[in-house]
Amino acid sequence: MQSWRRRKSLWLALSASWLLLVLLGGFSLLRLALPPRPRPGASQGWPRWLDAELLQSFSQAGELPEDAASPPQAPHGGSCNWGACFDTSKCRGDGLKVFVYPASGPISETHHRILASIEGSRFHTFSPAGACLLLLLSLDAQTGECSSMPLQWNRGRNHLVLRLHPAPCPKTFQLGQAMVAEASPTVDSFRPGFDVALPFLPEAHPLRGGAPGQLQQHSPQPGIALLALEEERGGWRTADTGSSACPWDAHCEQDPGSRQTQRRETLPNATFCLISGHRPEAASRFLQALQAGCIPVLLSPRWELPFSEVIDWTKAAIVADERLPLQVLAALQEMSPARVLALRQQTQFLWDAYFSSVEKVIHTTLEVIQDRIFGTSAHPSLLWNSPPGALLALSTFSISPQDFPFYHLQQGSRPEGRFSALIWVGPPGQPPLKLIQAVAGSQHCAQILVLWSNERPLPSSWPETAMPLTVIDGHRKVSDRFFPYSTIRTDAILSLDAHSSLSTSEVDFAFVVWQSFPERMVGFLTSSHFWDEAHGGWGYTAERTNEFSMVLTTAAFYHRYYHTLFTHSLPKVLRTLADEAPTCVDVLMNFLVAAVTKLPPIKVPYSKQRQEAAPLASGGPGPRPKPQAPAPDCVNQIAAAFGHMPLLSSRLRLDPVLFKDPVSVQRKKYRSLEKP
Amino acid sequence: MCASVKYNIRGPALIPRMKTKHRIYYITLFSIVLLGLIATGMFQFWPHSIESSNDWNVEKRSVRDVPVVRLPANSPIPERGDLSCRMHTCFDVYRCGFNPKNKIKVYIYALKKYVDDFGVPVSNTISREYNELLTAISDSDYYTDDINRACLFVPSIDVLNQNTLRIKETAQVLAQLSRWDRGTNHLLFNMLPGGPPDYNTALDVPRDRALLAGGGFSTWTYRQGYDVSIPVYSPLSAEVDLPEKGPGPRRHFLISSQVGLHPEYREDLEALQVKHGESVLVLDKCTNLSEGVLSIRKRCHKHQVFDYPQVLQEATFCVVLRGARLGQAILSDVLQAGCVPVVIADSYILPFSEVLDWKRASVVVPEEKMSDVYSILQSIPQRQIEEMQRQARWFWEAYFQSIKAIALATLQIINDRIYPYAAISYEEWNDPPAVKWGSVSNPLFLPLIPPQSQGFTAIVLTYDRVESLFRVITEVSKVPSLSKLLVVWNNQNKNPPEDSLWPKIRVPLKVVRTAENKLSNRFFPYDEIETEAVLAIDDDIIMLTSDELQFGYEVWREFPDRLVGYPGRLHLWDHEMNKWKYESEWTNEVSMVLTGAAFYHKYFNYLYTYKMPGDIKNWVDAHMNCEDIAMNFLVANVTGKAVIKVTPRKKFKCPECTAIDGLSLDQTHMVERSECINKFASVFGTMPLKVVEHRADPVLYKDDFPEKLKSFPNIGSL
Repeated sequence: MQSWRRRKSLWLALSASWLLLVLLGGFSLLRLALPPRPRPGASQGWPRWLDAELLQSFSQAGELPEDAASPPQAPHGGSCNWGACFDTSKCRGDGLKVFVYPASGPISETHHRILASIEGSRFHTFSPAGACLLLLLSLDAQTGECSSMPLQWNRGRNHLVLRLHPAPCPKTFQLGQAMVAEASPTVDSFRPGFDVALPFLPEAHPLRGGAPGQLQQHSPQPGIALLALEEERGGWRTADTGSSACPWDAHCEQDPGSRQTQRRETLPNATFCLISGHRPEAASRFLQALQAGCIPVLLSPRWELPFSEVIDWTKAAIVADERLPLQVLAALQEMSPARVLALRQQTQFLWDAYFSSVEKVIHTTLEVIQDRIFGTSAHPSLLWNSPPGALLALSTFSISPQDFPFYHLQQGSRPEGRFSALIWVGPPGQPPLKLIQAVAGSQHCAQILVLWSNERPLPSSWPETAMPLTVIDGHRKVSDRFFPYSTIRTDAILSLDAHSSLSTSEVDFAFVVWQSFPERMVGFLTSSHFWDEAHGGWGYTAERTNEFSMVLTTAAFYHRYYHTLFTHSLPKVLRTLADEAPTCVDVLMNFLVAAVTKLPPIKVPYSKQRQEAAPLASGGPGPRPKPQAPAPDCVNQIAAAFGHMPLLSSRLRLDPVLFKDPVSVQRKKYRSLEKP
Repeated sequence: MCASVKYNIRGPALIPRMKTKHRIYYITLFSIVLLGLIATGMFQFWPHSIESSNDWNVEKRSVRDVPVVRLPANSPIPERGDLSCRMHTCFDVYRCGFNPKNKIKVYIYALKKYVDDFGVPVSNTISREYNELLTAISDSDYYTDDINRACLFVPSIDVLNQNTLRIKETAQVLAQLSRWDRGTNHLLFNMLPGGPPDYNTALDVPRDRALLAGGGFSTWTYRQGYDVSIPVYSPLSAEVDLPEKGPGPRRHFLISSQVGLHPEYREDLEALQVKHGESVLVLDKCTNLSEGVLSIRKRCHKHQVFDYPQVLQEATFCVVLRGARLGQAILSDVLQAGCVPVVIADSYILPFSEVLDWKRASVVVPEEKMSDVYSILQSIPQRQIEEMQRQARWFWEAYFQSIKAIALATLQIINDRIYPYAAISYEEWNDPPAVKWGSVSNPLFLPLIPPQSQGFTAIVLTYDRVESLFRVITEVSKVPSLSKLLVVWNNQNKNPPEDSLWPKIRVPLKVVRTAENKLSNRFFPYDEIETEAVLAIDDDIIMLTSDELQFGYEVWREFPDRLVGYPGRLHLWDHEMNKWKYESEWTNEVSMVLTGAAFYHKYFNYLYTYKMPGDIKNWVDAHMNCEDIAMNFLVANVTGKAVIKVTPRKKFKCPECTAIDGLSLDQTHMVERSECINKFASVFGTMPLKVVEHRADPVLYKDDFPEKLKSFPNIGSL
């Protein structure tokens, strides 16, 4: 019995030791037996030379000051680049001035639109001598005629030859040093940084405005087809990618089971649009996909993407190798929702910013060339590639993104904590003493500017305030109130009329709201536009309704950048219109901001009593001595000039958090807003 | 004690009693075990010997010992090089095959020494830099030692400097590489191309279709989208430690420190110096130094001696002029000094210009404008100059600093071309880390007001309060824009009521049963959600009117990238406790809305479920609390925007609401909520919540206006 027990304990000790051995030794043995897992580069990689330290440098010290004697090289013949073939000295005065050669003979509709959009731009000049860029339209295929050498040709120096359709004319003259702006040029003939790649403009492309993007929502609808494929005769069909291994391969299409053909669409309705093929078809498909918000997947395009010099196409399209269809398909299927979301939105932004009308395409072309001339003060990439786009973010205003109202998020910056009050004093010309007091009482106010715009002489004395007060003698024009005065030193402007009546706490609250929405207008009084069936046009109402689309600029906060935009980017026609019909100026400013932001303005509360007793100014709601609704035509004229109706309606008002809540007034920060 | 003694005594007696056969057996067994234990112990205590066995495999040999290969004089020479090459014509992408990681594989040929028929070497075996470069590739994720899996081949023959090469023979060496195949998918690195007298801007070695990573390309030799333009490495990068100097004005405005400039250029520069005095400094080689040993590290102006490259830190702008070659190593020194390079070299392709935005870090001036350089630079605003100085230093740190940085950037560029859908973005290449950290890229950046017709999907999370749930369903179904109702049944122990018992409503009603009772089930991106707008609503929120919900949806349409909710909350910094505090009192500010009743974009469900930082999601599920605070953090962090609180305050059935009403002061609840805020702020590494002072009301809310004409009359009644 005892021996059995002893033997048992012995066995126990033995097996325990064995277990220990197996446990401890097993791993080590395993590590010994199996070769160590080859870490990349570690096991079989490039050898570590024992004498690596003794190796000589690739550039011996004596060699660096090599080549003093050789002369600077002249550019090789035949090819041009920006530095060698463009003379920027002619552009020094007023920047880019463009002269366009008049057409000889009949011209096509597209050609006509191009001419119109150049002539309507701020770059245009009628004198070839004063121009820094001379533009020659190479005629399109329909008229069949080719241009002859123009007078001021000068070996093509500072010339831009605009070709809408890929090389319709045989070389009737040597291009010399001229740049070529061509619709989807081949990569082989394209000279980066010198030529400009244009999009392929369809026949019916509108002059301005243009069709908006088709995207209705940010993310793709559930169940939407993954891929749309091009069809002959300009249609699209969606492909069922689940069953077919190579949905775009001609061989697969023989097999009826491998694909599903949906109804043909003029614009694709899918997440991705596959574009192979050759120009110009592919180029026109590309534009359709952009408009539809369908992410273009380009298979080895042999043509340069439009405005590739400034547009970062990797944010809106996928360029893939046509030889790896399966990989591309797999990559599309596995693409993260975040990337799909970003790509989709970018297609829409780019379409709206640069491609939707002939005017935008032409202005973008000129802007690209102006950026080259400006060199270091050109648009940074961010301005080109995020909303609202470089055509609406003028580089003459600033090239620091944080100076604009649009890029605070990307820059991690915040809008400034101060504002400037700009008080417009029109006829009859009473100094707005009470208003100045109210505004000066705001803790956020940095300065007050009085824009004296009437026939009476400037008053000699102004009220005593701690606030710096500047008086500007205006030109008696209504559009003056939106001039970018250099004396305005803050980002935020509170635009006011001499008649306006505001309390300090209204001003304070509105400004705090503006800081959350620096790109929008924040106003107290509103008006709306509506479609008037009876007259077949737009109508305007200042009645109090459940929604609004405009705020009156007689009392509104907005970013000072809109002054620059108003003065320098609006067509002169529109500013003249505003001067002639002063009540239009509000509408025009609202149109401008809405066209840039694609968002409605913001309304903040305004004391009811004053709202009824003393209307703010022209266009104000409620009963007033002299109803001054803007000429009904005003909205329609402006809409026609914009080419579309940018105004959007909002149904909300932003109030202080405790506004009219049943709590003690003492708890409320903006209590005077609630006084009856 | 007793037992052991007894054992000791009885012990020996045990063995003799066994049979001898057994004794031997046991002894052998014991000694094996003992030996094994000793051996194991030795291995355990010398773990490093095993680790270092990796190093044993890496050959440590001398460069002089590499095999010698004799090259016949008549061996073939590759074609000169095809200027029309593009990735889709000259690059064999099939070799890159399918790779789930979207990474190309690079093979490096073994080092050999090539001699001609007379035994004269074709080139120096390998330079220090090229050895570093190949080591860097070999250590990277790109490397493969399997020639059959490789997509890119890098010859070990060193062509960094054309001057050290015998051109024809080097070409012959290339042609006899085992996978040469007209140079397809071969990558050559060259930093000093051309030779006297005319200095070509690309390597003169005939190389057929091989890609060239070259320093000093001009527009005429550079094959856009095929070649890669790389910097000329400056050995000073490694030798000299220039600490980063903050941006701002410096002693000299413009400096020229190159030696051996063409006399014409030097005249132009000296003219500038005469005109602008102190602010322009033109340096040259020192002629009067006692020993010429360190002449590379000295520069002189008249009799003043300056240390190079330290002197570059004294200038705002530094001239980088072309020599006979376009690419100059000084560019690297200039960037290192945080000086903004003024590049005067017509047609020069700046390094990595395919991905780097040089406008942000340099000024390019045409050669014929050299005399205007000063006025061009003066027109740049100070703020932009400082931005450029920072950017210049960042470019050096990221892409110029070492041979390794140059090699990896080159491979990344080629990788991005082959897998464009996985390419690195402009911001990742160009934004310095400080900017990347501070910036927010809103995933819903496009200003877009979704059409009203889309409607919203209401998601009700419920456990077992069926009666209350049915009331919520009936109330919510009255909202005109509701398009679907989704009930998330979070109770695994009980079946949802039968179909016939549910309220009959005009929109589809779906019940989703969950596998586990988790709070995060409320934020799961269910396939059933077909609309972009989601209304999350608790099964006890019965006090919201149809007008209030409809108005909330209208507000969401104007702010589709935000959380739009009814009860608002605030976070505050508690100065006494030095941490965040949760606040549900009547405050003038809000920074959060409760998701017991809130509209938001369904994309945030995806983010909550799959992209929530750290362990927050599991933490919330484990604590059964704060899922709403987590959602507020997530949305604010990703969009950089504040929430929108809609409509006035009213009584809500939620723990804190009752707390304020004074019914039961649930202090622990508030403490828990505060803990959540502190926990999330530490996981996010920042406090993303934004505080605002506004809420959204209907335009005519509480205005003196006929109620029946208001769109949303039934709002704000308690």
